[in-house]
Amino acid sequence: MLLAQILTNGVLLGGLYGLMALGMALVWGVLNIVNLAHGAMIMLGGYAVYYLFAGLGVDPFLALPIATLGMFVFGYLLQRFVLNLVVRSAMLNTLLITFGLNVVITYLAQLAFSADFRTINPGYAGSNIAVFGITVPLVNFAAFAIAIVLAGAIWLLLNKMPLGRAIRATSQNLIAARLYGVNPRQLYAVTFGIGAALAGAAGGLYGTIAHLTPYIGASLTAKSFVIAIIGGLSNPFGVILGGIFVGVAESLTALYFGPTYSDVISFGLLVVVLIVRPARALRTA
Amino acid sequence: MSETLLRIEKLSAGYGPVPVLFDVDLTVGRGEIVALVGSNGAGKTTLLRAVSRVIKAEGTLEFDGADLLPLPPEAAFMRGLVQVPEGRQLFGKMTVEENLRMGAFRRKDKSGLNESFERVYELFPRLKERRRQLAGNMSGGEQQMCAMGRALMAAPKLLLIDEMSLGLAPVVVDQLLEVLTDIRSQGVTVLLVEQDVFAAFSVADRGYVMETGRVVGEGSIAELQNDPAVREAYLGA
Ligand SMILES: Nc1ncnc2c1ncn2[C@@H]1O[C@H](COP(=O)(O)OP(=O)(O)OP(=O)(O)O)[C@@H](O)[C@H]1O
Ligand SMILES: [Mg+2]
Repeated sequence: MLLAQILTNGVLLGGLYGLMALGMALVWGVLNIVNLAHGAMIMLGGYAVYYLFAGLGVDPFLALPIATLGMFVFGYLLQRFVLNLVVRSAMLNTLLITFGLNVVITYLAQLAFSADFRTINPGYAGSNIAVFGITVPLVNFAAFAIAIVLAGAIWLLLNKMPLGRAIRATSQNLIAARLYGVNPRQLYAVTFGIGAALAGAAGGLYGTIAHLTPYIGASLTAKSFVIAIIGGLSNPFGVILGGIFVGVAESLTALYFGPTYSDVISFGLLVVVLIVRPARALRTA
Repeated sequence: MSETLLRIEKLSAGYGPVPVLFDVDLTVGRGEIVALVGSNGAGKTTLLRAVSRVIKAEGTLEFDGADLLPLPPEAAFMRGLVQVPEGRQLFGKMTVEENLRMGAFRRKDKSGLNESFERVYELFPRLKERRRQLAGNMSGGEQQMCAMGRALMAAPKLLLIDEMSLGLAPVVVDQLLEVLTDIRSQGVTVLLVEQDVFAAFSVADRGYVMETGRVVGEGSIAELQNDPAVREAYLGA
């Protein structure tokens, strides 16, 4: 029973991890940018929901779409006016600039939000439902469900809608996409905006189940990176599965080796995955 | 000659500091099929890239009465200038149908879209059979058909075609040439770059010959076929 409970916790948390990685995988696959500020954007989404809730009394799940939209605008403008300079340039340039961005965002967040722990704590935060004797925390379940729905929405966008087709076309063949009417600056900005929006949604959900501080970005970036590699860059559901894999691995590690090791596990997985999964499997967005 | 659709005058272009085209003059009239031939490395592909605005150029470049030079490729495309690029450049990990849809990416008329689909599938029944297959997994001839189909989905005014026949069986080449005459009768103008000079001359109204970045000959197909230099260099006589 304990194992079933642990697995359930891992799966629910893993879905949210998958959502965190989804935006990073999208941006990586299409723009060839490994966004080291992705975790910082997750953090911003978390604080946006926190302030809407704690400051204005908006229910966190109503604040979520607002934060998501806000992060879309943030990401769009960032790409349009800053990152467009480095799109498809050498990987080192994009790493440097997004690393710098991460430092700046984290620093400004510390000034604006202070370094105190925050949690988004609505009245129903502690509610559970019991299924076959397994306790399912309501908020975790909602976060998981939203992650799945958003992954489905991204899948639909990429595979069934003209904008998504243009996104895939551009990642496959930039010149041909331009010859057929795609404006890459615009498209890259929209893609990065979507990536930031997904980060924002993930951050809002994360804040309802874990502590927020301005410094959570770095480890969430790392986790997203690992999951994007495990899940691949082309299929949103693959990314969610990758997240579930990491979530379950973390929970099991915490159970058998103690919670201090659960943070180490994702990096252990990274090493394993880099060895067994050829890097070219990634470039298939 | 009919009304001018594409006017190229004293056009120079190159890659970075390397000049490739020198003072190229070329015009295409509305409704014409114009062939552009020349040996490897003459600059034919470079000229098409300059016209499509993929690379920088200097001189005069007018399409349908408007100056193209300040425009990016996507804006040139929006005006009806559509290229079937060298090496096809399909979206290899998308299906045939998705490639065709990408051709129509910027089209607003959804009803005309279905008509275009039907027309393309009628011209290339093979594409209809393979519409769910990944473009990158098709044979060379099928890919060329897909590239042509994608261009037609854009409802072009001027089609720039680069090496349509490269690596294709003669039957397929004949079939594609037929399609060209067919779409010309629908009001599409064509600038055809070809290594297969016989094939190009069999459908074109006029032709240009390029050597090392310059136009060295032009005229009606009959004139070119009787030009001793052209006969020797390209027609093997
Ligand atoms: N991307 C590039 N960068 C630098 N130089 C290039 C590039 N592409 C072509 N060139 C050079 O420009 C010249 C003209 O090449 P281009 O591709 O236009 O010839 P072409 O007439 O299309 O030849 P082919 O019949 O073999 O396709 C060649 O000397 C070539 O080496
Ligand atoms: Mg060429």
